[in-house]
Amino acid sequence: MFFLSDLRDLIHIIEWDLERLKTQKVFVAMRLSWFVIQVFIFARAISLIVRQLTGINYYEFYLLGVYVSILYSTSISRGYVIADEFDDGIVEYHLSLPIKRNIFVLGRILGCSLAALLFTLPMMLIVLIAVNALNLTGLLVSMIMAYIFSIGVVGLVILVVVNVKSTDATDILFGTIDAILVRLSSIFYPLPIIQAIGIAPYYYAALFNPLTSIADFIRLLFIPEFTLYTVSPYALVLYILGFSIGMIVLAMEHYTKKLEAGGWK
Amino acid sequence: MSGIHAVEIRSFTKKFGDFTAVDDLNLDIYEGEIFGLLGPNGSGKTTTLLTIATIYKPTSGDIYVYGHSVTREDYAVRKITGIAFQDPKALWVDKPYDLLMWHAKVVGYSGEEARKVVREVMETLGLWEHRNKYFYQLSGGTRKKVELAKVLIQKPRLAILDEPTAQVDVLAKHALWNIIEGLKKEGTTVIIATNDMFEAERVCERIAIIYKGRLRALGTISELKDMIPGGDVVEIQVNNDKLPNNIVERLNEYGRVEFKNRVLRVYLEKGEEKVVDIVDLLKKNNITVSRLMIKEPTLDDVFTYLTGASLRGEG
Repeated sequence: MFFLSDLRDLIHIIEWDLERLKTQKVFVAMRLSWFVIQVFIFARAISLIVRQLTGINYYEFYLLGVYVSILYSTSISRGYVIADEFDDGIVEYHLSLPIKRNIFVLGRILGCSLAALLFTLPMMLIVLIAVNALNLTGLLVSMIMAYIFSIGVVGLVILVVVNVKSTDATDILFGTIDAILVRLSSIFYPLPIIQAIGIAPYYYAALFNPLTSIADFIRLLFIPEFTLYTVSPYALVLYILGFSIGMIVLAMEHYTKKLEAGGWK
Repeated sequence: MSGIHAVEIRSFTKKFGDFTAVDDLNLDIYEGEIFGLLGPNGSGKTTTLLTIATIYKPTSGDIYVYGHSVTREDYAVRKITGIAFQDPKALWVDKPYDLLMWHAKVVGYSGEEARKVVREVMETLGLWEHRNKYFYQLSGGTRKKVELAKVLIQKPRLAILDEPTAQVDVLAKHALWNIIEGLKKEGTTVIIATNDMFEAERVCERIAIIYKGRLRALGTISELKDMIPGGDVVEIQVNNDKLPNNIVERLNEYGRVEFKNRVLRVYLEKGEEKVVDIVDLLKKNNITVSRLMIKEPTLDDVFTYLTGASLRGEG
């Protein structure tokens, strides 16, 4: 059962993750620099090349992909804070607090993903201004879906962290996951183009990749005239929801099982 | 000390892989007492405390905190238990005030109450001037105080303090001991893990001596000291690395003998009468005595008597 006290605990845990974001000035500066370079240098350069070669306006497509890319990597790094907390022993402190374990994990997932969303919100605004597509309804809907997606990514991180139990191994694993998920998605390459290449595993990996779903959903919201979509928006929403709910359930179950017995040692 | 059980440890065993950290521990801790777990590092004290706090789960057996099982009712246990860890738990960029404010809210204070209690506790512990420093700027002792502040803010029914005065200077130690006694006066049951025999004697009412994961003795300080037969300890520092067997056999006639690191200990009755004979015996066998002491047994002597090891040596 869910009580009012659980809700209060949930809010405190979310607060923990939002506070952590404030203390990571270097992280914020690094990501912002990467984003600014992407938007103002690479996006223009690559769009110019694509337009000259194909006649397609790639600028909007690419910029919204850049936003999803940074949302994804920020969600990963926010969730990864939990791995650092294992090394620092903070996890023992958290496990000693008068909070139900499930509420604690849920709070961390919601808190880390909210931190990621808030961190990337100004970037989303910059992108929307750059592509001249800023509207309040679209912004709200995209933020809700971005938050749900980010919840799934943080859940995935927690799932991996509590199972791998080594920050070194987790670093390597996430480097690999990051490379695979970002490349095998429509973040930078439209699905029909991937399909046209003719490598079926590549296409299907991209089709069922949640990064593809969120990237194409956000593009549909802001540049609906863009024709290189293959999946309906309803299917995209359902897929993102399924991904996030699945990750929440798995993360909560594994966190409780793996960590209550001192299993991170 | 009341007859109510605050903590009941029943056949508690904790293993990490093949390593047995705690082996079949049975203990009762009563409401309102300050109870000490005494043992060197690696003896199983911290594992026991972390299991009471529901951070670990027993491999077998169970622990009950005010009747709540740590295996089946962990949330109920956490609601009445507070712990100050051996290593302070904070990120290096945390600030004590922010950390304690968050802690206060998590343990149930509203905003204004939290601000009040955090300030009170920080002032009591001399932390107020450090409130906005980063954790990495604080000394080891100050960090330990921040850790203790969490428990003082929480005011739990059961306070668990894992080596609360390690790295703390002597003056601050006395202040912290007074604060720990203050917790008891407010009705809190306190469990302290320590390898500092002076701290154990100064603060604890009953003590469990743990060594290599097993309970070796349990009782009040005087009960533990009474375990040493005779009541005196003659401690002699010699210049030899080994004692001949015939000397050891002769010394055994006076009482139990131990020899380690060039220190000879004889546990005996009326030490002041027999010490001259003992020294004569050593001199006749060309063993040079460099220091001699007759003393009442300390907890370290009790520990050595029971385990053959030393709290000071291994702690």
